[in-house]
Amino acid sequence: MRTGDFKQTYGELVALTDSPPVWLWSAVLLLALFLAPYILNAYALSFLIIILITVVGALGLNILTGYTGLISLGHVGFLVTGAYAYAVAVSKYGLPPIAGFVAAGVVPAIASLVVGAPSLRLKGLYLAITTLAFSFIINTLILEARWLTNGARGISVPRPTLFGISFDSDAAFTYLCLGFALLALFATLNIRRSRVGRALVAIRDNDTAARVMGINLHTYKLLAFVTSAFITGLAGALYGIYLSFVSVEGFPFLLSIEALAILIVGGLGSALGAVLGTILIVLLPEATRLVFNLFSAQMDAMLTTGAQELKSMLYGLVIILFLRFQPRGLVGAWHDIRRFWVHWPLRY
Amino acid sequence: MQYLIQLLISGLAIGAIYGLIAMAFAVIYKSTGLVNFAQGEMTMIVAYVAWTISTTISGNVFVVAFGAIMAAILLGLVIERVVMRPMLGEPVFSTVMVTIGLAVILRSSINFIWDAYPHALDLGVGRGIVRIGAIGVRTGQIAVISTLLLLLAGIWAFFRYSKFGVAMRAVAADDRTALLMGISAARVHGFAWAASSAIAGIAGVFFAMSYDLSPAMFQLGLKAFPATILGGLDAVLGSGLGGLLIGITENLAGGYVSSGMKEVAGFLMIIIVLMIRPFGIFGERDIERV
Repeated sequence: MRTGDFKQTYGELVALTDSPPVWLWSAVLLLALFLAPYILNAYALSFLIIILITVVGALGLNILTGYTGLISLGHVGFLVTGAYAYAVAVSKYGLPPIAGFVAAGVVPAIASLVVGAPSLRLKGLYLAITTLAFSFIINTLILEARWLTNGARGISVPRPTLFGISFDSDAAFTYLCLGFALLALFATLNIRRSRVGRALVAIRDNDTAARVMGINLHTYKLLAFVTSAFITGLAGALYGIYLSFVSVEGFPFLLSIEALAILIVGGLGSALGAVLGTILIVLLPEATRLVFNLFSAQMDAMLTTGAQELKSMLYGLVIILFLRFQPRGLVGAWHDIRRFWVHWPLRY
Repeated sequence: MQYLIQLLISGLAIGAIYGLIAMAFAVIYKSTGLVNFAQGEMTMIVAYVAWTISTTISGNVFVVAFGAIMAAILLGLVIERVVMRPMLGEPVFSTVMVTIGLAVILRSSINFIWDAYPHALDLGVGRGIVRIGAIGVRTGQIAVISTLLLLLAGIWAFFRYSKFGVAMRAVAADDRTALLMGISAARVHGFAWAASSAIAGIAGVFFAMSYDLSPAMFQLGLKAFPATILGGLDAVLGSGLGGLLIGITENLAGGYVSSGMKEVAGFLMIIIVLMIRPFGIFGERDIERV
């Protein structure tokens, strides 16, 4: 019987997981995701694609808000920058999609330096409002720079062909999104257990103490901004490709709130939490619709007219309820269940 | 020259509305230490209630004003009691996120309770024009600017001289010590929410009178952020003046540069100001003890 969790080397402590069943179940999940495009119908597949794209964006925000504790209300700014960087590079200048994806990461990363630099002096709520300002300024810039972005008319984006493989069909595009989601997941997990990740978490927990320990606040805060914007920009490019059209209206301010809701619902500062939160938030409107559908067709009619309002109302309600009753999010709930399962009938 | 003066006057009028909402932000920040992201939405709801009163009960200015202020106070008290009070003692990040959640809920509730179309709030006053030399000023504009100045003076006196105002400052400075001195923090918070909601509601009614009522009105709250940041989150008077400054800047940028600039002039301005003074122009510097 396992009597405790004893780690003898540092490598064991920072390993992704020490339990073979976790690897096994992860492999099963991965296999299921690979088979999903063959089994699911088009409607269900669209949800899978949205979930995979949103996971990338949520993981990006998680580095900034979850790990480093810097609240960003303007993450949609990076999302839209990434989408436009890809669209301009591929549709406007005819560059290969690979170059488009590189641009979708690099351009928001550079933009993040512009926001990150003033943020080094700001704290908490002042920073949140500065990022909010940034996202509005970006929108105006995009609308004003008509020679580059077509202004309010937007740019249409074709599905890419990478390494001779066409990602034209939804099934093939799912694999592309799955690839990016896996990359983002492993990138954030590995950042978290590296020297950089520990520095970021130290800044979140107590920045004065972190500074005394020799962590350069400026470097690491900027690093968090750049990494977060890079990953979020990629998510933006994927979202733009999925919509096959990039415009400012396609990226409303509500997306920033949705991203924060995902992190809170999942559990702040945890990659697993970002994934669980994404699944819940993306499926929430659909689940609500199904439940209402059971009651009556009349309510269903009301929902179709006010679908967008209902969706945002649900986000708001979920944020408030989770913060009040389960501040550690779904990950916290999962840990509680696991502890109960392992230690029953003992309390701990 | 006349164009400039006209721009300045309409800038002052819209700036006074921003200033009122910014003061509402500051009143809550000063006594509870959090930014209420739902302020713009509360402004919008009060304006809609005023419109409902004017169309169903009576279009009399005083009836509508009284009803709107009462509704605003009620709204503030209910939100404080039901949503914010249970979050007492939680980290600032959580409470601020709760106000963001609240903002999203209130914003979409407009479409369920009222509708998505713009309405005019016509009380039969405020549209007359007073001529000063060659320049015409609407009476509504004069009314909103003087309301702002009166409220600024009133609030300054309240925080300076009244017993409850001093109690609010004590809770803001250190809520635990204030509790030991026999001040009820819960009552102070409730009062702050009611007062802030009433101030924002007045701003909403003024806005609806001179412009129109629409579900996009919550953006007033976003516009007022630069004002309150400019003045300093904890400076009630600074926020009011910051509003006037933002209103003028915005109008000048719109009049001389481009309409796109008008939208973001305030945001650009706070980014520059925060680079130089991270706590706003009138805000108190936060001194940390290690």
